[in-house]
Amino acid sequence: MTRAVAIALKIPDNTAFTAAVALRRLGVGVERVERSEIYFFDDGGDVPALIERITADETIFNPNTHRLTVLDEAAPRPGEVWIEPLDPVTLSVSKGDGEKAATSWRLLGRNDASLDQEALRAAAERLLCNPAIERAVY
Amino acid sequence: MSARIAVPVFPGTNSEDETLRLLRDCGGNAELVHWSQASKLARYDAYVLSGGFAYEDRIRAGAIAAHDRMMDYVIEAAASGKLVFGICNGAQILLEAGLVPGTGPIRRPTAAFTRNGPAPHFICRHVYMKLAIEPVRCAITAALPEGALVPAWAAHAEGRLAATPEHLSEIVGGGHLAFIYASANGIVDAAAVPNGSALGCAGLVNREGNVLAIMPHPERDAWNFNHLDRRESDDVLAPSGGSLLFRSFVQALASA
Repeated sequence: MTRAVAIALKIPDNTAFTAAVALRRLGVGVERVERSEIYFFDDGGDVPALIERITADETIFNPNTHRLTVLDEAAPRPGEVWIEPLDPVTLSVSKGDGEKAATSWRLLGRNDASLDQEALRAAAERLLCNPAIERAVY
Repeated sequence: MSARIAVPVFPGTNSEDETLRLLRDCGGNAELVHWSQASKLARYDAYVLSGGFAYEDRIRAGAIAAHDRMMDYVIEAAASGKLVFGICNGAQILLEAGLVPGTGPIRRPTAAFTRNGPAPHFICRHVYMKLAIEPVRCAITAALPEGALVPAWAAHAEGRLAATPEHLSEIVGGGHLAFIYASANGIVDAAAVPNGSALGCAGLVNREGNVLAIMPHPERDAWNFNHLDRRESDDVLAPSGGSLLFRSFVQALASA
């Protein structure tokens, strides 16, 4: 069973901050950006075991700086765009393979309201996605 | 007065000193221009974007820098026919800005120098770039001999040309493939390509021939002391092959 895992920084995320500043300059009305790296694991049926494997391995997860979330669905949530590489990287995480599947960008406006699809598309087309090597999934 | 060359420095640029030194050694009237002085860029006649990690390569290599105010001036200058030369991270910025290969709108990239393949690792390797176009096709290479071999150092984790099959066809059909990797004796084969780059690409030129983007660093093989293939009897302070491309660039400005 394929599980999607989101790994985000729990310390300030300078890349997300820079993206927010750049997107505002490009005319996207974003107040705050949340970013996480999305990994797919084919052997993720046993969630506690998967979490244990990832946290113990520390290849993609550092407990001092990261927060790990196992997603209910392997798809973007409202207000998110996933930027997927056309050519994903497989990595070994403690006796199993995972795939870095996407970078998730969650764009928030005033009062932390999620931005609409049109704003997400604009953000992806103008900055977040290079269509030569990536695709945007909404 | 000789043409003025700007070497823009973004936060995170780290190869500006050797770039500046070689430009001056080749007779160029070059100066650094930092990001806080962006408006000064309008006064220059040519631009060399050097290597590094502009804005820490946040989002993607070159993505944020391509939208920096400094690039507003560089894009305008390129449109007016001024020479723009990007090396390594500078090349990545030019691709993200859509200036090369220049087959799409500005700031809507149609290609990328991205993660190396097949292993996604940083490489530091001495390479040779072979001129794959007629020298006069690009103003910056015009003084090089046909099929010139330029030694350089490939030092990147993201130097593989990638694009959709349609855009790769445009790159070939439009004569945008300026440099390809080759061995020291000029043979072009897969073993000479250090990073899995499509078409064996080491450098791209735009349609007009005034914007050139290369991934390896010729400025790091510009004097014999950093040229791997030097002989015992060679003067270590004499120029080596990497300087040829910079001399051609400066010569193009002098003859403009």
